[in-house]
Formats: sequence, structure tokens, C-alpha cells
Amino acid sequence: MSVQTITPLSERRSARADRARERARQRTLILGGGKLPRVAAMSALVVMAAVWLVPMLWALATSFKTEQDAVSLPLSLVPESGFTLEQYRSLFAAGDVQLWMFNSLLVAVLVTVFTLAVSAPAAFAMSRMAFRGRAALIALTVAAIVVPPQLLIVPLFEQMVAMNLVDTYAAVILPQLVMPIIVFILKRFFDAVPRELDDAARIDGASYWRLFATVILPLSRPILAAASIFVFITAWNNYLWPFIATTDPALMTLPVGIPNVLNSYGSFYAAQMASSMVAAAPMVAVFLLFQRHIVRSVATTGLGGQ
Amino acid sequence: MSAPATAAARPASPESPPCAAGGARGPLRRAADSGWAFLVPFVAVYAAFLVWPLLNGLWMSFTDSTLNGGGGDFVGVANYAEALGDPLVWKTLGNTAFFTLITTVPLVLVALAMAVLVHAGLPGQWLWRLSFFLPFLLPVATVALVWKYLYVGDFGLLNQALGALGSEGLGWLTDENVAMWSIAATTVWWTVGFNFLLYLAALQSIPDHLYEAATLDGAGAWARLRFVTVPQLRNTTGVVLLLQVLASLKVFDQIYLLTMGGPGDSTRSLLLYVYDVGFTGYRFGYSAAVSYIFLAIVVAVAVAQLWFASSRRRA
Amino acid sequence: MPHPPGGAEGPGRSRPGPGRPTRRQVLRGGMIGAGALALGASALGCGAPLSTGSDATRVRFWSLFQGGDGARVQTMLSDVHKQAPGLRVEPTTLAWGPPYYTKLAMASVGGRAPETAIMHMSRLPGYAPGGLLEPFDLDLLAEFQVTPDDFVPDLWRRGRYDGHSYAVPLDTHPFIAFYDTAMADEAGLLDSSGALRAFESDEDFIAASHELARASGANGVAFGHVNDDAQGWRLFWNLYRQTGADMRLPEGGPAEFDRDAALRAYTFLAGLFDGEHSAADLDYQTALAAFSDGRAGMLFTGEWELPYLAEAVENLGAAPFPTVFEEPGSYADSHSFVLPRQSASDPERVRAAHRFVALMVRNSLTWGKAGHVPAYVPVADSDAYRALEPQSDYAAAGETPVLDPEAWFAGAGSKFQSDMSETVRTALSGSGPEAAVEQLDRALASWVTRPNPSKGDM
Repeated sequence: MSVQTITPLSERRSARADRARERARQRTLILGGGKLPRVAAMSALVVMAAVWLVPMLWALATSFKTEQDAVSLPLSLVPESGFTLEQYRSLFAAGDVQLWMFNSLLVAVLVTVFTLAVSAPAAFAMSRMAFRGRAALIALTVAAIVVPPQLLIVPLFEQMVAMNLVDTYAAVILPQLVMPIIVFILKRFFDAVPRELDDAARIDGASYWRLFATVILPLSRPILAAASIFVFITAWNNYLWPFIATTDPALMTLPVGIPNVLNSYGSFYAAQMASSMVAAAPMVAVFLLFQRHIVRSVATTGLGGQ
Repeated sequence: MSAPATAAARPASPESPPCAAGGARGPLRRAADSGWAFLVPFVAVYAAFLVWPLLNGLWMSFTDSTLNGGGGDFVGVANYAEALGDPLVWKTLGNTAFFTLITTVPLVLVALAMAVLVHAGLPGQWLWRLSFFLPFLLPVATVALVWKYLYVGDFGLLNQALGALGSEGLGWLTDENVAMWSIAATTVWWTVGFNFLLYLAALQSIPDHLYEAATLDGAGAWARLRFVTVPQLRNTTGVVLLLQVLASLKVFDQIYLLTMGGPGDSTRSLLLYVYDVGFTGYRFGYSAAVSYIFLAIVVAVAVAQLWFASSRRRA
Repeated sequence: MPHPPGGAEGPGRSRPGPGRPTRRQVLRGGMIGAGALALGASALGCGAPLSTGSDATRVRFWSLFQGGDGARVQTMLSDVHKQAPGLRVEPTTLAWGPPYYTKLAMASVGGRAPETAIMHMSRLPGYAPGGLLEPFDLDLLAEFQVTPDDFVPDLWRRGRYDGHSYAVPLDTHPFIAFYDTAMADEAGLLDSSGALRAFESDEDFIAASHELARASGANGVAFGHVNDDAQGWRLFWNLYRQTGADMRLPEGGPAEFDRDAALRAYTFLAGLFDGEHSAADLDYQTALAAFSDGRAGMLFTGEWELPYLAEAVENLGAAPFPTVFEEPGSYADSHSFVLPRQSASDPERVRAAHRFVALMVRNSLTWGKAGHVPAYVPVADSDAYRALEPQSDYAAAGETPVLDPEAWFAGAGSKFQSDMSETVRTALSGSGPEAAVEQLDRALASWVTRPNPSKGDM
């Protein structure tokens, strides 16, 4: 991955220079020409990367051990009785993990689709159209960014009880569609699309719907992709609300099911590490495939307030 | 009048056939093309799942309603009065503030250090980015289970490592003076990658000529970091701080899964207390009151930070 | 939605169960739900429930049985399946303690609760009056050959509320002492018959624990309580009751307890777990691992660890909790079946649930093998049960059970128990026994004045 690819929507976008030369230049700019700073920086990176990688590598190794080896002393990366696939075999034989994975995927996809479907037209209206209450609506949307949805678990649960939705996918999904930051980010992007484009379309007699669908949306593909990735990651990893909204294990998502159902066998560390790795695998795979997009998405949406 | 009906019946389809220029414009057609038509799904969702629970929760906070549908009588400010005198509200508020402090500082500084080092263009770019950012994508279940295993008392990796260094093991999650630090360490490990990416993106938009000018002025690497990089990152730092403080204040997941608030109440966050009181203790009314006190604090912090940031920008 | 038996097996011990084919149905149901969602808001309520397409009556069964217990439940379920193929039981195991009871209450309130669930008898006062449970139909139970007379009267009485029976007890499960017979022998703690000898006093027991520590080379007695919501309370309450003291917790207060007795119990614990001869700050798993790995000569815990320990420890002995104060007594509770409230209950399933409960109780010899004392007298009195070893060594503990105080806030997995367990932590690794008594005093005073959320319009 080259350095330029994660340049956010900055106005300044230098041409893609030769990578090696660019790096050397950058190195000199940041660290100076001496050898000592380079060695120091490199050692710091190695140490930090080790600290950040060891927990996952240790867990990964443990997931291929027997339970006995997982708790026996002295610790050893390579177990006495050799590596085994036993933990994964029984995990998948039990079947819950596949179901939770399916639930997570379903929930994350639907949350992403619906959030965008709800947010994009609203952001367009706030950006482009004159209607009564526009300023107030924008102000309220911005204010909503500050309200942590986690503080609404009690009234939301009561609402789900009243709507008879507890233990349904709808209960897991609907409250997650409230993501004012996405509306805000999209509005900012739409604001930056030159007005001349829509004036031209309007003169041709195009409706706002057509302007939105044929001019604005196509131009917004990068931000829509970034927002989608952001929403997807958030929904996939969301814990608290799916945890509150589901009591039936058959409806739980991966992050909720794995610690709350399998944990009944608390003393079995190797099995826990195996289910942890399985829970982590989809996102890790997606990241390795779409690294550039994900990095860019996080950088742009994360800086949404800026 | 069939044309307007058709148009109104399919307003959500972007491909709906456009009217010819200057064509008939019935009232329905105008409604579909006004701002509110774009806003209906948004308003419906936000009204149902943000505004209504906000108002309903506010009402609940003045009642003695319970999880199992009991109570529900108006009790005035009794819940708020009780909350202000509840030592656990203060204790968990203190825990939350402490957690926010001990995570925000490293989450900014470590992220900055990582970003500057990676930005320096040393070999191994792919590896650095992967190792620093990947944990951010892990579900909390993975994070909690993995770290719980690392933190285990006798055969945990961390205590074994300490033992190998000749030091005594720590009660990572079992000692009330240590547990919150352990949760903070796990949190930093888990989420620093997000800030790292934000900083990395910001670093790339710093114009090279600033560094070149500084070098010509005789500034060393350290001075360039202090006088060019850090000031140029001020806006990013503002955003990172705001997001971080807000995120840290509502910490729940990793604490729930690592210690459930223990030992004692030493790691119980305010949100965990809201959950305990409402769902484990059935007291929805009281739980709602605690939530609203907390909401007031969160909003105050956010407003203060924004005000601080904007006044600094003006200065 | 269905949750096949796989869920109640642990990782590492799974085996396809009779509910296997439902998995595909589940996924298919999910697809239907997804399609419905995509079709629009009118279908939003239809995510979960769907017909199973099978003649068998579905009985979802929640339990909190961990480790070896999970495997025993599995055996009992397959016995039940053989005896009643028409029942399709879908077991789910959730994490023990507050998470379990919180989820159970939320499920009842949410309306899609499981047909049956396990509940500790000690928790009933917090559930039955709140409308979270349905009473059992005794005629229906009798139809499946289970009647109130088949149970220890005192246990059955605890399941009654307001003229109805809300709980059918499965077992009594005492808190006992496991020990390594070889180490105990080396420490001179065995009597002529090879059983753990009686202790004269608390000092005598502490001295014995030092001998055990020498024999194990590490800990005398292992006890895990840190970050645990119950272990501390079980041990404290056990010891407190051994002094002959009682505790009164009337709603609205004032709480009455014997300060001297509490101080004696805490002081004994602080002396025993001094951090030198026996570690003071172990958590549950660490204590279990320490004992099973030979790093402790004795372990204080529930008999429910028997299946695991029987495999992991070569020379396993078990005894009722040692009498260290004036009166014998072992802390005990009872796992019982309950019927969570459902918003749309189906008579067919209610009947199936009764049948399931009756069959489980009648098959509880397997449960006895797991270490628990069966509550169903025809099983407990059977020769087959009496022949079990080392069950017979501690079965006496069931004769002197120390039960939880009856209060809406007390019981297994309650916040009350975790508050109480904290006082033990204070005594052992915090400010010491005196401070623990003060903490106990404050906590009890606070609990009795709290409003009972199950009261009101229920």
C-alpha cells in the first residue's frame, strides 16, 4: 500500500512518485540524514509491532492446542502433544458459530443498506433543498451526534417489548440505523459538489430525485463506499445493543454469542481461543482483501467532523 | 390524473421516469420533489428510535417503572435525588472519568508516535500498518477472550513473562488497584489503530516545504517534530480528542466481558451501572434517571470541548 | 428459534444430537427473515419465529450448567429423547450468574422466553412474585408420574408461592471440600478408614492446612473467589451458620446479624488464606487449575466440579464441608425447573414442557453421577445412587444444608451474593476482617431498605 492512497480528501494530492525515492526523501525530511535516528525509529517500530502482534499470535497458537497444553506450565508456543485442529472441529460441529456468523452478516449488511438508504436522501435534502425547518433539522442532526445511543438501552428495550420485537432481527437492526454522523459526513460531501452541476440539471427540468440519482450519487461513490465500510464495521462489531435485544441464542450475532453462550465452559481456554479466532476471521479476511478501501474509509469518516 | 399518482407511488426509485420538462406538476408531484419527501425515512427512523426513546426515557426517569412492567407511577424527582446520594453513582462516575483519562492520553500519544514512525517511510510499511490497525477490526468478544487469557493469574502469558524477568505476577484483573489499568491497556491495544490512521492521513497532508524550510533553518529531527509536525496536527488532535473522550465515557463492552465491573466495583463504569440497575436489578425508572444524569455530563463535555476547540481556532 | 443440542455441549465434547437437522431450518428461517426485512417495514416483526416443519413439539431449555454438568445434561437429554421421541428439546447454556438471570428475566419480559429453564431455588422469591414465571400444573405433572410427595418436603415447599408451585427441584448441591488423598495422607489428615478426619477447632484446621501446603509444595487449600459473584458468599455463609448464628433480613429493615460470628468467620478465612500457606487472591478457574494440577492439597468448591476433578485428579477425595466451628453444615442450593412466562403460550408446548421436566427428574440418576444429590426421592433412595463413590462420602452434606436467606434480593447469581462475596475479598486481600464486618453491616442495611421491584401492581 502506498502512502498516497490514504491521503484523505485533502486538496493537495501529489502525483504518485516513485515509491522508493519518495520514501527516502520522506525519511530524510522526518528523521534527518543520520543513521542513529533511523535505527532508533526502526527499533521502536519493531518493539511496538511485536507488542501489538503477540496477543493475537499467542491466541492463534493456543487455539491449535489441546486444553491440557493450553494451561500447562511452563508455557510454550509449541505444545507438548503437538498442534491439533480439535478445537475448531468441535466448534463447527456444535454449529452455533456458523449461525452467529450468518446473523452477524445479515445484520451488518441490512444495517449498512438501510442506514445509507435513510441517510443519503436526507443529507441531500439538507445540502440542496429549501424547506421549512431546514436549519433546525441540520442543527438537531449535528446535536444527535453527541447523544450516545448506549444511554438509551433502557427506554429502547421497553419500546421493543411494547412493539413485541424482542428476539427478532428487526429489534437488532432498527435502532442501529440511527447514525447521525453518516448523515453529517454525506451532507458535507454533497455540499462540496459544485452547484453548477445541479443548476445545469435543473435548467434541463430534472427533478430533485433525478438530480440526486443521476448527478450527486454517482459523484459520491467514494464517500458512499467509505460510509458503507464504516457502518458495516460498526454494525459487525456492535456489542451492547444486540446483546440487549436478543436473549435467544439463535438470534445472537458473533460478538454476543461467543462470550455469552460458549463461555459456559469457562475453563476451556483453547476452545475459547478457537472461537475468538473464528469471530475475528471474517473481518481480518475482509481487511486483507480491501485494505486500501478500509483504511481510506476510516480516515475519511473518522475525520468527518473535520 | 394518473401521472402524479404514478410519480408519488414510486418516489423511492431513483430510476423513476422523469417528467418531461415543464410537464404537469400536480400537488403530489410537488410533495415528492420537496425536501420532506427525501426526509421521510430519515425522520421516521430518527423519530422512532432516537427522539421517542429519548422522551420516553426522560418520562421513565420520573417514574418507578420496572423491567417486568410493574410500577410506572410518577415519583417526581425521587430517582434523581436517590441517584445524587447513591455512592455507586459517584464511584462509577469516578471510574469512568479515570478510565477516560488513562485511555485518552495513551490513545493520542501512542497513535501519534506510531503514525510519525510509520510516516517516516522505513521499510516494512505493510507490516506496521497491519499490526497497528488490525486489532481495531476485531470484535470485542475476541479482544476480551484473548486478553482474559493473557491476564490469567498463574499460567497467563503476562505473569509468566514477569516471572521470567524475576518479578512477581500481577493480579491483572483480580487486584482492584490494577484491574482498571489492565482494561485500559487492552482498550489502547484494541482501538489505537483508528487514531493511528487518522494521524497518518493528516501527516500526509503536511506540505513538504514546511519541513524543508525548517531543515534550512537548522532544525533537527526532534525540532521539526515539535515545531512542524505537532502544530500541523493540531486540528486532527482536536478531533481525535473529542471522539476519544466521547467513546471512553461510554465504555461498557470490554469491561463487561473482562471483569463485569469487579473486583469490588473498581472497574464498574457508569454505563455498566445503568445496565446493572435496569436489567439485573429490574429498576428501569432509576436506571433511566442515572442515564439522564450521565447524558447531561456527556453533552456538557462535548459542548465544552467544541467550544474550547473553536475558541482556540479563533485565537 | 431452534438451538440444537450442540449448544449445551462444550467445545471439545460435542456430538451431534437429535436436533441436528434444525440447523438448516434455522438458516433457512433466517433467509426468510432477511427476505421479509428487505421487503419492507410490514414484515419487520417476523424475523424470528417460524414454524419448524416437524411433528415434534419443540421444548427450548435454558440452563447454566458448565463443564462436566453440561455433558451430564447431554446424557440425560439423549435418555429423554429415547423415552419420548416426540419431544424436540433444544438446550441452551448461558454463562452462570447474573448474566443468566438477567437474560432469563429479559426473555420473559420480551415474550419469547424458552419453554423451560433451570433456576436456583434461592432465586425464586425474586421471580415468582414478579410475574416472570408460570406455575406448574400439578395434574399434568402427575400424568407424567411426578407428584409433590416424590420430593424432600422442605425443598418442595421452597418452590411454592401464593398457593402455586413454581419450581420442580432437580437436586440439592452442597458446597464441599475436595482433597488429594495422597497429600492428605502425607499431612496426616486421614483417619483409620482413609477418610478426612474431623477437626477440633478452627485453629486445628488452619494447622492442618499448613501441613497440606507442605505436602503439595504450594498451597494448602485452594479457594477461588476473586471476581466471582458467589464463591465468597457460599464460604462465608457456610462458616457463619456453623457458629450457630442467624441473619434476619425483613423488607424495609432493620437487618439483624451477629457481628461476633461474622468476625469469627472472616478472621478464620484471613488466617487460612494468609497468602503464605494458601493463596488469598485466586479466582475460580485459577483455584480449580491449582488443585487439579497438584498445586494445592484441598479445594473448597461445589460438588459440581466432581466430574472434571474425577478425571483430572488421580487421588480424589471428597467430604462434606469440614466442621470448623460449633455446628456442622454445608452451604447448599437446589437447581429447579421453572416455566418462564411467554406472551403467546401454546398448550401443546406447555404440556411438552411438563413432560420434559418430569422425564428429566425421573432420569436424575445420571445427575447424581455428576455429583449432585438428586431431589427426586425415588432416585435418591435407589441402590444405584447409594452405590456411587465418592458421592456417598459427602451425601451427608445434604442432611445439614445451609440454605440462603429467603429474600427477594438474595439467591444464586444475585447482586446481593456478589456484594456479600466482596466482603470476603475485603477480609482476605483488602482491609481485613474488621473492615469486612463493617462492609457487611453497610451492605445488609442497604439491601433491606431497597424497594422490592417485583411488588407493586403485580
